[in-house]
Amino acid sequence: MSIFDEIGSVAENFHNKLDKIIDQEQIVDLKNKYLGRKGIVSNLFSQIGKVAAENRKKVGKSLNSLKNELTKKINEKDQQFSVSEEKSKKTDYSLPGYSFNKGSQHPITQSIDEMLDIFNHLGFDIAYGPEVETDWYNFGSLNFPKNHPARDMQDTFYTEGSGILRTHTSPVQTRFMTKNKPPVRIVAPGRVYRNEAISPRSYCVFNQIEGLYVDKDVTFSDLRGTLDMFCKMYFGSDVKLKFRTSYFPFTEPSAEVDVSCFLCDGKGCRVCKNTGWLEILGCGMIDPNVFKSVGYDPEKYNGFAFGLGVERMAMLKLGINDIRILYENDIEFLKQF
Amino acid sequence: MKVSLSWLQQYIKIEDKPEILAKKLTLAGLEATVNIVGKSVPDKVVIGQVLSVEKHPNADKLSVCKVNVGDNEELTIVCGASNVAADQKVPVALVGSKLASDFKIKKTKLRGIESHGMICAEDELGLGNMHEGIMVLDNDYEIGKNYNDYLEKEIVFDIDLTPNRPDCMSHFGVVREIAAITDSKYKFNKININESGKKIEDLTKINIENNEACPRYTARVIQNIEVKESPKWLKKRIESVGLRSINNIVDASNYVMIETGHPLHTFDFDKLSGHEINVRFAKSGEQFETIDHVKRKLSSEMLLICDSEKPIALAGIMGGSFSEVDENTKNVLVESAYFNPAVIRKGSKLQQLSTDSSKRFERGTDSNDTLIYSQNRLTGLINEVAGGQIAKGMIDIYPKKIDEKIVKLRFSKIKNITGLQIEKQEIKRIFIALGFEITEFSDDNISVKVPTFRPDIEREIDLVEEVIRINSMDKIPTLRKINISVSENVDKLHPFLKSIRNLFVGMGFNETLSNSLVSEKMAKSGIWNYKPLKIQNPLSKEMDTLRTDIIQSLLANLKINVLRKREDIRLFEIGKTIEKESRSETGAKEHLNLGVLVTGTVWGLNWNEKSKPVNVYYFKGIVNLICEKYGIDNVKYKETKNCENNSESVSIYIQKKEIGRIIKYEISKFDKLQLDYPVIVMEINLDTMFKKRNKIQKYREISLYPSIMRDISVVIDKTKMAKDLLDEIKTNGGGNLIDVIIYDRFIDHEKLGKDKISLSFRLEFRSKERTLKDNEIDKIMEKIFNKLLTNYGAQLR
Ligand SMILES: [Zn+2]
Repeated sequence: MSIFDEIGSVAENFHNKLDKIIDQEQIVDLKNKYLGRKGIVSNLFSQIGKVAAENRKKVGKSLNSLKNELTKKINEKDQQFSVSEEKSKKTDYSLPGYSFNKGSQHPITQSIDEMLDIFNHLGFDIAYGPEVETDWYNFGSLNFPKNHPARDMQDTFYTEGSGILRTHTSPVQTRFMTKNKPPVRIVAPGRVYRNEAISPRSYCVFNQIEGLYVDKDVTFSDLRGTLDMFCKMYFGSDVKLKFRTSYFPFTEPSAEVDVSCFLCDGKGCRVCKNTGWLEILGCGMIDPNVFKSVGYDPEKYNGFAFGLGVERMAMLKLGINDIRILYENDIEFLKQF
Repeated sequence: MKVSLSWLQQYIKIEDKPEILAKKLTLAGLEATVNIVGKSVPDKVVIGQVLSVEKHPNADKLSVCKVNVGDNEELTIVCGASNVAADQKVPVALVGSKLASDFKIKKTKLRGIESHGMICAEDELGLGNMHEGIMVLDNDYEIGKNYNDYLEKEIVFDIDLTPNRPDCMSHFGVVREIAAITDSKYKFNKININESGKKIEDLTKINIENNEACPRYTARVIQNIEVKESPKWLKKRIESVGLRSINNIVDASNYVMIETGHPLHTFDFDKLSGHEINVRFAKSGEQFETIDHVKRKLSSEMLLICDSEKPIALAGIMGGSFSEVDENTKNVLVESAYFNPAVIRKGSKLQQLSTDSSKRFERGTDSNDTLIYSQNRLTGLINEVAGGQIAKGMIDIYPKKIDEKIVKLRFSKIKNITGLQIEKQEIKRIFIALGFEITEFSDDNISVKVPTFRPDIEREIDLVEEVIRINSMDKIPTLRKINISVSENVDKLHPFLKSIRNLFVGMGFNETLSNSLVSEKMAKSGIWNYKPLKIQNPLSKEMDTLRTDIIQSLLANLKINVLRKREDIRLFEIGKTIEKESRSETGAKEHLNLGVLVTGTVWGLNWNEKSKPVNVYYFKGIVNLICEKYGIDNVKYKETKNCENNSESVSIYIQKKEIGRIIKYEISKFDKLQLDYPVIVMEINLDTMFKKRNKIQKYREISLYPSIMRDISVVIDKTKMAKDLLDEIKTNGGGNLIDVIIYDRFIDHEKLGKDKISLSFRLEFRSKERTLKDNEIDKIMEKIFNKLLTNYGAQLR
């Protein structure tokens, strides 16, 4: 067999074997067998010395092209496999990633943020007041006379000394007006306290947002417009509002606002007690006595105020039916938000 | 407050369906719901007629009846009652009816005979206690009809009243509202009483000590009455509004109160010493037993009704047991008075006694027409239901008449307040319907005399409200376009808090919201040693103090989570903490704080690497991040003195002010919870952070030249503080040293020697003007090393 025949059969054998290869390990074996230091090709090269001198150049050329071809084929095959190999060996993409703890904002502060954002859109600034209040700001300045049954509307906690825990965010109204001249356009978020037994429906601490707008020519129509816009932005653009006469000492006329039940589209369900309406907030035109207590002229200025319970609204929206879960702080609950 | 539809209909024609009327009342401020009261039986109980009765072949005490229940249906029913007989009309519970939650009528075999229903006794239908035999009905009951159709029912409105409307705690008040809302007429009955007895002046005398507390007192006397059960109609009325019938005198008194809204009182005249009435304040410490048989200690603020010797009633609140009308009473004195609302409210609060009477007096009753009408109404009614003779005349002590106020309403004011124009004639109609007298009606104004039964109306704005609530609460336009005056101030605190929240949420913390009412013990454990502010009237001992820090709240939240086996807990909360401060107007000083708590590992349990427990340095990193974000520098840490057992703590300072603390609690502090990792907490005062933050963040020029990094590792005594070495490096690093990081720290007795520690620093140099040269940095590094050597004995490693 001439050396040329041998070269031909090596090439043929190689190609047969190459076709049968199924994994990267076999490629390495094949490579070693043919192209290794003591491999078949090397071995052929070492036989050049035995070839007749006139043929040596030709044999050398053929061996080189054999080596090149084999190297090329091996590399090609290797690349084919390494793509799939990487998948199966180096990285198992099915393994889970790092488990970042799911941080979450409390649903109530989230709701407050959302509501304040809406009121900011509507041109309200944010104001604050203390949680421990004086009788004057919580009641007196808001037209709750001493020894008046209106005080029974809100069960009050009294602190040592003469302080009380504010029963509503309304004292922020009179605190703010005492310090600022009209026009005034603010919302005031914060905690309020009621001395009521804790139940699924009521908790001794909850959050309110108070709204106040005072200027010349402010009317009940503006109040309706503002609350209508707010409710549509918060609950969705199809909700309807209903105003019913009510009584708060610091507003007159006063109204309770019902929003059409967005859970049943007003058809009636368990949550709205089959009325199709949900009671959500109280509001009214500022009583002249409140203006007098902060030194505003009630003949010159009108204003409206409203107060809403954040927990109630958030619970409706999120479908929570026990207020206590909001203050329990189980992370299984918190992480849902 | 309950009002009955049929009672209202005595005075006014009502055309609306009850549900519609309730809606209208609610819109006008009387939140009303419709209730049907009265007796009822379960569904599928019908009228049947017994056709035949035969003895049960297998049981002595049972009968087999054929019963016609209408629609040509003839049922076989086995009955155990002895009084069952042919031709009787009886209530039959059909198969499928549910007589009680656990008692459903089914087809059953009784001693071999199938029974298709049950003939019922009174108690089985919930109509009474009778169990002796079946109910036998009158012959005019129609076979096959539902028994329910024959039971009397009453439609009653439950009205949730706001405290400004005492006048509506009565049928009269609600009638006036309905008249105004539905534009209809009403009429209250005139009273005629037959004064056939002695002259009242010869029987009794009245003396009022304090006319301000009791501006008016009237009395009548009725003699030779008979106390007995009330007639059926009276009983029915009283029971329909949820009261219990007692006897004809008490029921009559309650009836008139519910009708007119004016509370009245009847005394057993013969039990009054000296047959006289004295109205005075109690002497401090005076004792008195009320009809609920509670012996009460009185203070000098309690107004009393007394006879010549002793108290007989807490004025306007409750009568005494001694002078109570009983079955032997022959003569009664009827009191109709007006008491000062504030006096009654105070008394009611002091005695913690709220009654139907005190609720009305403290909200304000009518000292004029209603008072007199009610006096005469009750006297006449007692005469009607208990007989006797009415004494001639009425004693009426009313030294200073309370006049009706005249209030003017400018028509323009309605538009000014509501944005809505309302017809003048409509305004006039509303006031007349509500019982106001018009004293002026011009182009621009209307003036009205406000009846004294409306104590809530004193000013123009009150009249505006009357018009709006009757005419147009639902008609005020909703503006789609609003003109506003925008505030020039923009609050910065809320965005600040929001960004802190976002920061923590991003780092994987869960925000909590905790009750600020805690136990005194918890408040005293607060890390700031604030004097706790206590609550005088707490809901419970567990909530009798305001929290003094956030950490205690977070520790309580931790407990709940650990008990439920939650892992890797990271909590934060932003809220007020309260300190007792007697110099403040509220008695408190409030601090806005941020609390943070972590227990667990940095990464949680995972396959990738062994995760380290969170430690104090994790928190220092957070503080740095916050401070960097808000441009606060000069943050210093100092070990906190006097911290609790099982804990170590470091205080955070900004410019000498302690603004926060990081505390590490060992597992041993929570032995009951069986924690796996220590608990690290932090609390920071946000008021200070907010104040000290860099308000204007300005651009700093960035360098366009490359940095040079140099590392230096030194071995020092363990007692040396890393911070001091860092400061030393910074002081000597020159203006181009822009950052120093400690990237390695270890202790190794064998390699480094005992009580030695190795620290490795990486220094970054960069200039804004040029590329730095290696040899100039070499010089600086040499200088730094020499300083570390001389000042800290540092050796190169
Ligand atoms: Zn609904």
